[in-house]
Amino acid sequence: MAQNISPEQSGGAGGSSSVKHNDDSLPIKDNHAVSKRLHKELMNLMMANEKGISAFPDGENIFKWVGTIAGPTNTVYAAQTYRLSLDFPNSYPYAAPVVKFLTPCFHPNVDLQGAICLDILKDKWSALYDVRTILLSIQSLLGEPNNESPLNAQAAMMWNDQKEYKKYLDAFYEKHKDT
Amino acid sequence: MKLTIKSWTGVASWRWIANDENCGICRMSFESTCPECALPGDDCPLVWGVCSHCFHMHCIVKWLNLQPLNKQCPMCRQSWKFNIH
Amino acid sequence: MCDFSKLWSSDVVKIFPILCGSTSQILQSPKEEVFQNVCRQMSELGSVGIETLTDIVKLEMRSTIRNVIVPKFWVHFQVPRKETVSDPNALFAKFIEAVNELHESYQYLLQMQTRLIQLNRNGPSKTLEKQVVDENGTKTWLRDAMLAQLPPNFDVVIGAFYSVHFRLFTKDIYFSSNTIDSEVLSDLPCTGCNFEVQKCCCQKLIEMVNKTNQKLLELGLIDRLAGSSMTALIKQKIKEHINDTCLGIFDRSHLKELETWLQDVIMSWLRNIFTGGKQCDINECETIQGFKVKLTYFMYETFAQSVISRFFSIIIDYPDSTPAINDLKICMEKIDMRVYITKTLRNALEARLLHPGVNTMDILTGYVAAIKAIRHLDNTGVILEMVTAPIKDYLRKRNDTVRRVVTGLTEEGPTDLSEELAKGESVKDGKDNTTDELSNWENWEPDPFGIDPNILRNTSSKIMRSADIISMVVDIYGSKELFMVEYRNLMADRLLAQLDFNSEKEIRNLELLKIRFGESLLHSCEVMLKDVTDSKRINSHIHGDGNCNENQLFDISSLIVSAQFWPSFNKESLQLPEEIENEFKKYTKAYEAYKGNRTLNWRTVTGRVNILIEIGDRTMEMTVAPTQAVIIYHFQNKSEWGLEELSSLIKVPPSALRRRMSFWQNHGLISETHPGVFTLIEKESEKSQFEEMNITDADEEDLESAMASASDQREEELQVFWSYIVGMLTNLDSMPIDRIHQMLKLFASHSGGVEFTQDELKHFLQRKVREHKLLFSGGVYQLAK
Repeated sequence: MAQNISPEQSGGAGGSSSVKHNDDSLPIKDNHAVSKRLHKELMNLMMANEKGISAFPDGENIFKWVGTIAGPTNTVYAAQTYRLSLDFPNSYPYAAPVVKFLTPCFHPNVDLQGAICLDILKDKWSALYDVRTILLSIQSLLGEPNNESPLNAQAAMMWNDQKEYKKYLDAFYEKHKDT
Repeated sequence: MKLTIKSWTGVASWRWIANDENCGICRMSFESTCPECALPGDDCPLVWGVCSHCFHMHCIVKWLNLQPLNKQCPMCRQSWKFNIH
Repeated sequence: MCDFSKLWSSDVVKIFPILCGSTSQILQSPKEEVFQNVCRQMSELGSVGIETLTDIVKLEMRSTIRNVIVPKFWVHFQVPRKETVSDPNALFAKFIEAVNELHESYQYLLQMQTRLIQLNRNGPSKTLEKQVVDENGTKTWLRDAMLAQLPPNFDVVIGAFYSVHFRLFTKDIYFSSNTIDSEVLSDLPCTGCNFEVQKCCCQKLIEMVNKTNQKLLELGLIDRLAGSSMTALIKQKIKEHINDTCLGIFDRSHLKELETWLQDVIMSWLRNIFTGGKQCDINECETIQGFKVKLTYFMYETFAQSVISRFFSIIIDYPDSTPAINDLKICMEKIDMRVYITKTLRNALEARLLHPGVNTMDILTGYVAAIKAIRHLDNTGVILEMVTAPIKDYLRKRNDTVRRVVTGLTEEGPTDLSEELAKGESVKDGKDNTTDELSNWENWEPDPFGIDPNILRNTSSKIMRSADIISMVVDIYGSKELFMVEYRNLMADRLLAQLDFNSEKEIRNLELLKIRFGESLLHSCEVMLKDVTDSKRINSHIHGDGNCNENQLFDISSLIVSAQFWPSFNKESLQLPEEIENEFKKYTKAYEAYKGNRTLNWRTVTGRVNILIEIGDRTMEMTVAPTQAVIIYHFQNKSEWGLEELSSLIKVPPSALRRRMSFWQNHGLISETHPGVFTLIEKESEKSQFEEMNITDADEEDLESAMASASDQREEELQVFWSYIVGMLTNLDSMPIDRIHQMLKLFASHSGGVEFTQDELKHFLQRKVREHKLLFSGGVYQLAK
């Protein structure tokens, strides 16, 4: 998984693709605070037991999670489930995590490498967002793409014809869902 | 029968007068500390913005320092200004 | 041709009277001519002649020995069927007699032997290539025959003889080392002969005994015959001596004394027996050396066993009993007693400590003392490990253990634990030592032999075994976290109970525990202590503030806690009367003014109230819990209350209320005149009959904690775990059990939770498989679709 992470983003050390840089501001020395927060989030997620979204650390490192979202009902993505990777930086929650689709997803705002174009993951990030809100936003993005700035032009163009779109999407999903 | 109470030693827990229980930024209780402080209360106080949202002082300060341009309230995106009574 | 029968009946028999059955007469030596005659006649027969005669004589001698002499000896000691116990004195006398007889027979036989030799010497020399008659032959035959015909009770006999010998021999030694004053001594019977001192016949006895011994020596019988019974006798004496001198005396070393005693008393006695006072030759010296080695070993072993049998007392007396432990250490170097010690100690501790009759504090004290003593004995920690394992297990089952440990750590005045804590500032954390171990490989030593591998499996590192006492005590629970949680709870209780107190000792203890166990676990304790000091400051500020003091009915002071850092309070409630509540509101306002943006939530049911009651002709000043104060407050307005009525007014459940009521009942202020109805007693001595039966002991409540009980609701925890497992498998597809366990440990364990073992997890997961919530295949678990 995650072969396409660029070096500056690996390990979450160098910050994220978001605008915020943490080199010249408050030096964030210890991971303890972030780790504490992530533990709390995990607990809340587990206890909330929400339908349609889920996430869990992928291994011993709490800074790397795997998330699962179900396509929202009444959209072309209903009955599909997608896996995502979430990479939390040291400066979380002051900086957004890097979220990518692990399951290939055919969507106007998702590129072939799984990168997601979503405002809250970039300039509209707020410290108040958490894993839950991120996953929910991505989930609703599925049903409500932003066709103005697409990463996948083909999908953006096909979107208006929902029937054709669904056909293509289902074939695409079947082909790629187990990678 | 006459009862005179001469003195009473009681126990109370203090809390901040805020709308919420947890700081939205660090998710810790207001009565607890921000992730970097050791002692709650005076040493890790709360601050309010004019938008009436409140956070741990340390949390919001960090947030504001990390925003290059408009300093916004993380909750409502309004321009942030400290509300000092 | 000679006439054999004539020769026989005249000369031969003269020379060898044994041939006609005589056994004991010591005759004059026959003349040389008789010898010559026989020789000459025999030699006419050729070489065979003398040889044959020699053989005949030898045969006769041997059969005499076998059939006559030896049985005669043993017959002396035959005990008739009816008698079961033989009188040792009688045996002694018989023995001497028997030995004398034997010796005479021996002399006689020697004569025969001499004559045989003479005969053969006179014969033709060419027949004597080899020595036909061994000089020691008779002795050997006699000895062999004696040994072959040993009766079952022979060592009783011999034991009897030698014990008398020993007594006589050592009499002087005891006499000189005895500190009883001479007057008393003269009244006692003589230790040697058991007669009164005036009639002491020791001298005579000694002579007799020595002579007999001498004869036995000559006969060469001492070693084989007497060896084992002497050894038994000596062992007996050693045991007695050790019992007399060393048992129960731990504050000095005994080994040197014992060795000296062994040398002086036993060995010299043995030497006396074996050598009869002469210089000993090499063989004898070897024998004696052999004895010495064996006996020394036995002595060490017996001594060690006697020390070990009293080890429990040694533990209790530690460090006064250090010399005894040092002695034992030396013994252990010579003898491998490890397994024995471990087993015995375990049993002793189990029998004395680990049963319901012993209270937890005593077990803990014993545990700590045992650690110190056993560590002194064996500083590799192996014995300690194995002996204390059952103690730890047992302590774990007692539910007040942690409480006691914490109390012991923080108690006023010196206790073992608080001393250890104070001492430990220089103790390094276990982790630091591992690097030392690796870099110190040149000094590595293998583990001592004899360790039970099952126990060793868990803590194989030498370093861990050498952990200090505090860690070992905390280690009872296997986890520091649980211990710290309990410590925090206890501290909270203490702080709440005292409400204004001296925090110096608490702070100091906290610092020490922090050094040892790390900062984070005890962080909340720091906050608690800070709350106490802050509260004092706030109280004095508010009291100094004029506004609050106007129209004040009574002084209020408070302990203001940071709720997140204290253990959760229990769910009791109490509604204050309006008048009192107003006072609290005033205080709260003053607080709010002092500390902007903050307010107080009162925990009404906790606290202390100082009240004055004037009733009838009595005046009582007391300090009570808030609930009691509120109860008696309401009785001011109404002198009779129903239980339910009062309960709903002050929001205390009826059962709890009844308990609180009993406090006032015990003080004679309230009585339950009818079931469920309580009335104020204006005058003393009014107590209804009903009440006599129902007063419950109110003191119990003082011990109740204000905190919620730290209950492990296993099911609740399992629910949490289940959510985590579902989360895991949703996102990570399938996992084997050890990964699941690891993940749970990393992410789902909360501090203070009891550890969730992989076996428990397995059970749980299998349950879920049975409930069709999980699938298990190929070694991994998955969510059921």
